[in-house]
Amino acid sequence: MDRGDVLSALVWLLIGAGVARAGLDLGLGVLRDPGPGFMLFWVGLVIVALAVAVGGRGLRAGAPPGTRWAGVRWTKLAGVTAALAAYGWLLPRLGFLLSTALLLIYLFKAIEPQRWSVAVAGAVASALLAYLVFKVWLGAQLPAGALGIG
Amino acid sequence: MELLQQLGTGFAVALQPGNLLYCFLGVFVGTLVGVLPGIGPVGAMSLLFPVTFKATPEAAIIMLAGIYYGAMYGGSTTSILVNIPGEAASVVTCLDGYQMARQGRAGPALGMAALGSFVGGTAAIAGLMLLAPPLSRFALRFGPPEYFSLMVLGLTILIYLAHGSMAKALLTAALGLVLGLVGLDSITAQPRLTFDRLELVDGIGLVPVVMGLFGVAEVLLNVERTLRREVFRTSIRGLLPTARDWVESRWAIVRGSLVGFFLGILPGGGAVIASFLSYALEKRLSRHPERFGRGAIEGVAAPESANNAATGGAFIPLMTLGVPPNVIMALLLGAFMVHGVQPGPLLMKQNPGLFWGVIASMYIGNLMLLVLNLPLIGIWVQVLRVPYRILFPLILLFCLIGVYSVANTVFDVYVMIVFGVVGWLMKKLEYEPAPLVLAFVLGPLLENNLRKSLILSQGQFAIFVTRPISAVCLLLAGLLLVSPLLPALGRRRQALAVEEAS
Repeated sequence: MDRGDVLSALVWLLIGAGVARAGLDLGLGVLRDPGPGFMLFWVGLVIVALAVAVGGRGLRAGAPPGTRWAGVRWTKLAGVTAALAAYGWLLPRLGFLLSTALLLIYLFKAIEPQRWSVAVAGAVASALLAYLVFKVWLGAQLPAGALGIG
Repeated sequence: MELLQQLGTGFAVALQPGNLLYCFLGVFVGTLVGVLPGIGPVGAMSLLFPVTFKATPEAAIIMLAGIYYGAMYGGSTTSILVNIPGEAASVVTCLDGYQMARQGRAGPALGMAALGSFVGGTAAIAGLMLLAPPLSRFALRFGPPEYFSLMVLGLTILIYLAHGSMAKALLTAALGLVLGLVGLDSITAQPRLTFDRLELVDGIGLVPVVMGLFGVAEVLLNVERTLRREVFRTSIRGLLPTARDWVESRWAIVRGSLVGFFLGILPGGGAVIASFLSYALEKRLSRHPERFGRGAIEGVAAPESANNAATGGAFIPLMTLGVPPNVIMALLLGAFMVHGVQPGPLLMKQNPGLFWGVIASMYIGNLMLLVLNLPLIGIWVQVLRVPYRILFPLILLFCLIGVYSVANTVFDVYVMIVFGVVGWLMKKLEYEPAPLVLAFVLGPLLENNLRKSLILSQGQFAIFVTRPISAVCLLLAGLLLVSPLLPALGRRRQALAVEEAS
């Protein structure tokens, strides 16, 4: 059994059923005048059918060669994802400059460790340069945050 | 004569200082992302998407187009010097390009890649210029059923060519369609799948989805394991190929340009397949096929001409029909729409400055690229030496800024992160992200044309098969979908998909 395919098929099944249900709720209309749920309903059913096909094949298949998840550095992966999410939370609060510098220090330091001096100097310089290019030169609306320094 | 006049109008637009600057920025960034593994033209185009909001439509399209064809030039540099393709269309260049570098012929390999790219790119622009006007006139005969069927065909070809399971590619395309329908219904204005979130009323943004699937997911894939790459240390001298190199490569360049251009036009086709097919063609036609893979210069010239010619061909369906043939053109369609321009059969009449300006800018851009990739090749070799541990935080930073500045909302940042994780999972579980993005862009258009066709025909599905253009498109799509059940076609698909995947 290919567990990856079976599990993903289950997720697809849920998505397909949800989409078809949403289509029904929105209204299918009639063929002469299809409603807003028409396409969603049918695409949802197609997803369900394909999920069954992928899941069925996954059940019949042998286990894939053990390279898919082998050697994955889960902590690094989780670290980057969490850092990005934290950045999203901090951005409107601390402003662009501060939150960007913090994110970059973490990324420079935690994923492929470097000296503190390199990480901090690189992070601050990159944040400042990005600020100058995007905010000052290109006029992007980057948040200043509660401290008003971004 | 009329053509020359129109081209003159185009050059008048393209040579304006502002447009020249945007063109240079586009080809420069294109070469840069082509050189750097880890971010491709799709990511770079979405990144610079917000930068174009303040520009004129001409400048915006000129720059985004420049990134696309610029990346094809830059991609060859990493293939030749590092044996890692900078982007997918340069995979095949590794085979002979890297071998040439090992034999001390990195210079002629890089030179031939740049010159072949220039010839292929320029020939394709000429083809685009000649073919686009008659095709635009032909496209005026398209109604909602034809558009619907053509989009179905485009999506089907992309699904057909996706590597691995076709059912999985269909699933991602179906998800793309659903995501494209989030927001207000275009006919009844009823909110769909918005979960009472105000941010979703206008739909999910293209940029966060693309940046997540192609930018963040790529970084996650590289971060999960240690990436090592070493630039082949060789002195690069004698960039101009010798007379013998030219003799050996001249027909490879011509054939590569032709193959690339026509494959680029096909919906779902593009630079990747063009480069593989042109390489295979040269190997088959060669009197010494055993030289291929051991440093044959034709093995560099053909795919590099083909992938650049394909970029020119890909503009044809977008500019004449308004239907993007691949993900990159889908992004370009988004850029057209942001600027209130509808690409399609009327573009040439309603916006001649834009249409011909973009074409003329491609001639100029190709010249700029020749300079950037021949005398200035040293810069890109230095860029290649930047370690990934320095590069990936910066790629993520650019993704974050790019996504945030589209609508100035943190919601889009979260959308990007979610799609980054989804994209990473998709790669791990062998689901292709490209059909998702194309379906995402085509979803609203597809639904709109389906509903309009049904309203026109009083609910008769026969409208799709009684109109010849629509019937042919659907027949081809149907054939491709059932092809895995036909052994001969199934084997052909596997071969193509494996080529693209490798």
